[in-house]
Amino acid sequence: MSSPAVDLRASRPRLRLVDRIADPSERVLALLLLAPAALFLGLIVVYPIARLVYNSFFDLRMSGGQSAPFVAFENYALALTDKIFWNALWNTLLITIITVIGALLVGLGLALLANLPYRIRWPVRLALLLPWAMPLAFAGLIFAWFFNTDYGVINDWVTRLGFAPLQWLLQPGTAFAAVCIAIIWKSSSFIGLILLAGLQMIPRSLYEAAEVDGATRFQQFREVTLPLLVPSIVVALIFRTITALQTFDIPYTMTKGGPAHATETLAMLIHSTTIDYGDIGYGSTLAVLMFIVSMAVTAVYLRRLQRD
Amino acid sequence: MASVELTRVAKSFGSTKVIHGIDLRVDDGEFVVFVGPSGCGKSTLLRMIAGLESVTDGTIRISDVVVNALPPRARDIAMVFQDYALYPHKSVYENICFGLRLRKTSAAELDRRVREAADILQIAHLLDRYPRALSGGQRQRVAMGRAIVRDPQLFLFDEPLSNLDALLRNEMRTEIKKLHRRLRATSIYVTHDQVEAMTLADRIVVLSGGHLMQLGSPDDIYHRPVSKFVAGFTGSPPMNFLPASVARPNGVALVELAGGRERFALPARWQALGATLVGRDFEFGIRPEDIGVEARGNDVAEIASTVIVTEPLGAENLVTLGTAGGELTARFAAGVAPRPDEALRLRLDLSHMHLFDRQTGEALRP
Repeated sequence: MSSPAVDLRASRPRLRLVDRIADPSERVLALLLLAPAALFLGLIVVYPIARLVYNSFFDLRMSGGQSAPFVAFENYALALTDKIFWNALWNTLLITIITVIGALLVGLGLALLANLPYRIRWPVRLALLLPWAMPLAFAGLIFAWFFNTDYGVINDWVTRLGFAPLQWLLQPGTAFAAVCIAIIWKSSSFIGLILLAGLQMIPRSLYEAAEVDGATRFQQFREVTLPLLVPSIVVALIFRTITALQTFDIPYTMTKGGPAHATETLAMLIHSTTIDYGDIGYGSTLAVLMFIVSMAVTAVYLRRLQRD
Repeated sequence: MASVELTRVAKSFGSTKVIHGIDLRVDDGEFVVFVGPSGCGKSTLLRMIAGLESVTDGTIRISDVVVNALPPRARDIAMVFQDYALYPHKSVYENICFGLRLRKTSAAELDRRVREAADILQIAHLLDRYPRALSGGQRQRVAMGRAIVRDPQLFLFDEPLSNLDALLRNEMRTEIKKLHRRLRATSIYVTHDQVEAMTLADRIVVLSGGHLMQLGSPDDIYHRPVSKFVAGFTGSPPMNFLPASVARPNGVALVELAGGRERFALPARWQALGATLVGRDFEFGIRPEDIGVEARGNDVAEIASTVIVTEPLGAENLVTLGTAGGELTARFAAGVAPRPDEALRLRLDLSHMHLFDRQTGEALRP
């Protein structure tokens, strides 16, 4: 037998706003407590993004005076037909793919090395930390010097080996490779640190159990280390991919995006459009597109993380 | 199955010697327990047998083969770890079959053996689960399953029950004993819990400071300890010790407690030895169950005491008593529950007394 439905809300007296603030329900109290943080977040995150999107609909130039004409999606249409934009996007994605994979492999190697039972561990850990602690622009300058055609150490080795010196930073292919090498060097220590933390979370007894079970060193790596390192790898990949999509400092200091836009990334194109050419409207459009790419990639990773 | 033989086995970490030349033979099918306090070297010794720690000196033989230089995987052993060491990313089935898979066992044989081990340990319904979804006792069973499925020649247990609560520990202890009766596998078991040692072992190895203190059956260890250390380590509550000396005023050797305020004659079988002990300092040892309020047997000594506290355990009462020579703990029957400050005349059953040299801690035997 079913009982008649009773609408409890109907019997509850409706409170005035002043009363509800003086004696808030849990829901109102929660909103009140969240309000300061939400306001702060709105100011530093939501407002700049909203302003960026807003600007992208105007022909806003530094030299354009007070009023900027509304152009709707014209800037977006321009970007999608702009060969330089597609080139920068392609470079960015290629740098992201190459350097994230490269840094993951090098970082994993470094983490495994740093996790070995050395008697004195701090020099190894310090060596792992140093590239990460170094400013990006500084790393770019160091590698620009390494790859310098006349004075660089790389060409010194090349000539010692009997080959002709290369114009590393003056040819598109080699300049792109040099930039990738510099980024991998700089970022692999960060991945190494995250993976080292992950490695140290794996109990030693699991390796001992695997050893007793009959696993060789390689089998221990494949059956114990790698599967248990997956969460750390995913975290490292998310952080590294997001920063790789924003690559700016190293190619800027090494090549200024050249030769012939060969190493120009999306962030560099946004910078040159807004700062060098003062085209804030179009620059904002490019920034919105880059934001969409970043969010799409992050969403893919987060879905994977949730699934794990 | 296999025998294990340790010959002058020693281990040092840098300049610190942690195992001091241990000689031991574990026979085929025997269950030997290493017991001792924390830091006595029992786990290190077990890990040396497993090949997880190197041997600084001496030789270890398994089935008459010197295994000092062999890696663990070449020793044909299985080990149950204190934290179970289950692979968290593998299901129970995969955990149990991992060793077989590495040995390229055929799929049908692998499946048969995993299910057989799971049936023995009553975990067949858990095979698809992951370790995180198991209770402590279930994890323990999976760890045992992983060990027995390979049918190794030697089982090693490194404090496998220490992470379980008291009730589950008792249950699993019985399970391990049943399993050993079924498999008759040579087993070496490490624990700091003397109850586990007494209940499981065919023979017990008592270790202290990396030295083998005594090797013997549980009965030997309990009733005939070779030193005050061994006597004090076994039994719950442990043996009582009172400072004592021996006097022989009228040709009869007497034990004197508290500088002579309590004295009683040594039993007849101790008299000959007692005559040689006059003037030396000893520890008089008596177990809680050998102290009563009613006379039992012939060799009984009476001493005065005052009840300090009574702890009822249901089936029996543990009573802490103050005597002229120091505090004693007695195990009384459930009906005997004296009140604090009550004066009691205690009867010590001297047929089970012990004397230990106060300097060396060595037991004296009549």
